[in-house]
Amino acid sequence: MIKWALPALVVAACVGYLIYTASGGSAEYYLTVSELPSHANSGDVRVAGVVQDDVLKSNGGLHVTFTEKDATAAVPVDYTGTLPDIFKPGITVVAEGRLGKDGVFHARTVLAKCPSRFSTTTYTQ
Amino acid sequence: MILGYLGAGALLAALVLGAFSAVLSFWAGWQQNGVMVQVGRRAFYAAAAMMVVAGAVLEWALLSHDFSLAYVTEHTDLSTPIALVAAGFYGGQEGSLLYWATVLGILGSVSLVASASLGLRLAAYAAGVMAAIVSFFLVVLVMVASPFDLLSITPPDGLGLNPVLRDGGMLIHPPVVLAGFASFAIPFSFAAAALIAGRPDTAWIAHTRRFALMAWSLQTTGLVLGMWWAYHVLGWGGYWGWDPVENVALMPWLATTAYLHSSQVQESRGRLRAWNFSLVIVAFLLVVFGTFIVRSGVVPSVHTFAISAIGPWFLAFLFVCIVFSAVLLAVRSSSLGGAAQPIAPVSREGAFVLQNLLLVGVVVVVFWGTVLPLVSGMLGQQRVVGASYYERAAGPLFVVILALMAVGPLLPWRRAAGLPSRRALIWPAATVAIAIALLLIAGVRSIPALVALPLIAAVAATCLTQYARLVRGWSRLPALLVRKRRRYGAYLAHLGLAVLVTGIAASHFWQQERDVTLAPGQQVTVGGYTLTYLGSEQRQLADHSELVGAMRFGDATLEPARATYAGLGGQSLTRVAISTTPLADVYVVLAGAGDAGAASFRVFVNPLVSWIWAGGAIIILGVLLGNIGERAPAVEAVRRRVPASVPS
Repeated sequence: MIKWALPALVVAACVGYLIYTASGGSAEYYLTVSELPSHANSGDVRVAGVVQDDVLKSNGGLHVTFTEKDATAAVPVDYTGTLPDIFKPGITVVAEGRLGKDGVFHARTVLAKCPSRFSTTTYTQ
Repeated sequence: MILGYLGAGALLAALVLGAFSAVLSFWAGWQQNGVMVQVGRRAFYAAAAMMVVAGAVLEWALLSHDFSLAYVTEHTDLSTPIALVAAGFYGGQEGSLLYWATVLGILGSVSLVASASLGLRLAAYAAGVMAAIVSFFLVVLVMVASPFDLLSITPPDGLGLNPVLRDGGMLIHPPVVLAGFASFAIPFSFAAAALIAGRPDTAWIAHTRRFALMAWSLQTTGLVLGMWWAYHVLGWGGYWGWDPVENVALMPWLATTAYLHSSQVQESRGRLRAWNFSLVIVAFLLVVFGTFIVRSGVVPSVHTFAISAIGPWFLAFLFVCIVFSAVLLAVRSSSLGGAAQPIAPVSREGAFVLQNLLLVGVVVVVFWGTVLPLVSGMLGQQRVVGASYYERAAGPLFVVILALMAVGPLLPWRRAAGLPSRRALIWPAATVAIAIALLLIAGVRSIPALVALPLIAAVAATCLTQYARLVRGWSRLPALLVRKRRRYGAYLAHLGLAVLVTGIAASHFWQQERDVTLAPGQQVTVGGYTLTYLGSEQRQLADHSELVGAMRFGDATLEPARATYAGLGGQSLTRVAISTTPLADVYVVLAGAGDAGAASFRVFVNPLVSWIWAGGAIIILGVLLGNIGERAPAVEAVRRRVPASVPS
């Protein structure tokens, strides 16, 4: 068994190193809209908030702007791409991207909190 | 109404019987009372029968649209197709728990039937542990999450199933995943029983081998089906998003994969006893942990699961299981050291040990990524990791595992004299060289692709050379195939994994996507595939309307669509159109309609995705062919060899 302590240590060290380098580069802050201004220089972040009524789609639905809001703050979001099916005013979305100098959050992806396999959203509506 | 009382009564009876079986089995095992051990076992069978009754009552209530039951009202309505009404059994929180407990009851009963041959105490404790687990589920079902709760007023119709779930995938994916999760409890129960009884020999491994394989196969099928479902339904062009819900299903699968290999070392060499116990225990703990994560909402996920009262119950259960397992392992640790010779680094068992360490490493990577939001949230600002973390941290580990898969089967058991014979390594080595050359000629310059794909080819080459050796002695072929089916089934599973990983690697490295807005008659070319937009139309169906955009692709017409359900607050649903060619899937998503008949699309070209589904099927075929019929004789042969390997 002692003989295998060394390989085990080597593998453990490699795994630790991989986790450290990988999470250092790609861990993103998960924020609410009101926390966003204090993380303007954090690189890519994820912002959770509720979609407001001002959804504007152009370019056949591929470009969209809307406002994301939590209890206290709001931020305009600009996104190009396909939207999740359940995207509509009133649902909670998680936008991934960064806050631009123009004060607009430029999203790379927009994820919706989607209905679970174990529950129906219809019941809560 | 009557069905509600009937079901609740059956659940309560099952709980009483389960708790009775747990207490009696432990006591009888302690007292070595053979009659009482049998009574405890039969109480478990009775509890299982009561759960089957409860399940049948729930299914009956669903199919007869008995909306006096809250569960039926919440998960079905009169317009839901009958197959999906039946699937409502496991479609909701409470029903899925009942389904889980019932599967464990049935499979557990099967595993206990022949357990008497394991010796009185081991069999008694196994029944006791299993009955305790079932009782936990029944307590939750009876006290906090009963599927038989009644509504004070019976509504005329139910609320129906979310349209995303109205899909054939709903009929097969959840029951397979849940059955896989449930069956992890069986190896765990026998492992724990062997520790309590002080029987660290291979009896428990041999007895539960089929169940471990079944848990692994169900989980493999569940994972592949989940990927298939996500790919065909969700419309983001991928099949795996490293979401916590996916991660918690992957981790026990990885641990069991490790166990299926390391248990062979104990079977043939009597080594790694403590390690095998730990792996089985960890796999089960990961299942409980996953259930807690998924049902409690402590980690941000795109799936907001019904956050319900059962979260704390599962957390408590997780703690009890961890403490119980840790104490057991600590108490028995002194008796777990094997007496056989040490393991040579370059040998089959050496390869298994390294593969195990790497798989556990992947589990650690995935676990850390899953709990990071929880940990960082406690320490300050919540942080999350995306797909790139998992690719960068787990990718290199998977590459080394692939290399081991190519070399490991060629290494002999016990000590290999120096390196494995050069001749054995010629084929995989030549395959690597040829694959690299072909990829370079094809213009591939990505280092990860140049490492991963040749290694996958080498894995396939290794499996094929094993079969080729078989063909050389063709006259004895049928007999040999049957006698060593366990081994050749395993090679087939390896081959299936190579096919599956090829699909993952190709679609990962070479997926192409393009967003376009087209007027009728305009063309778009993505990755060499040309699509012509024909026009769009609005269709009105029974409970929803559909915007369909027609695209001509070769001779076929693809019809990606967006459905809108007016009855569900205008919720829309993407209908992806996929055309599978041998080399790639053309995957078209309709984003929306523009002016003058124009429409916007997101077009993906996903190379070799169909290989993932084919590979999954080959893996399961390999496991089945390797293990049908009488207990595989490989185990017998190995048993006879064991005494010889122990120094006298």
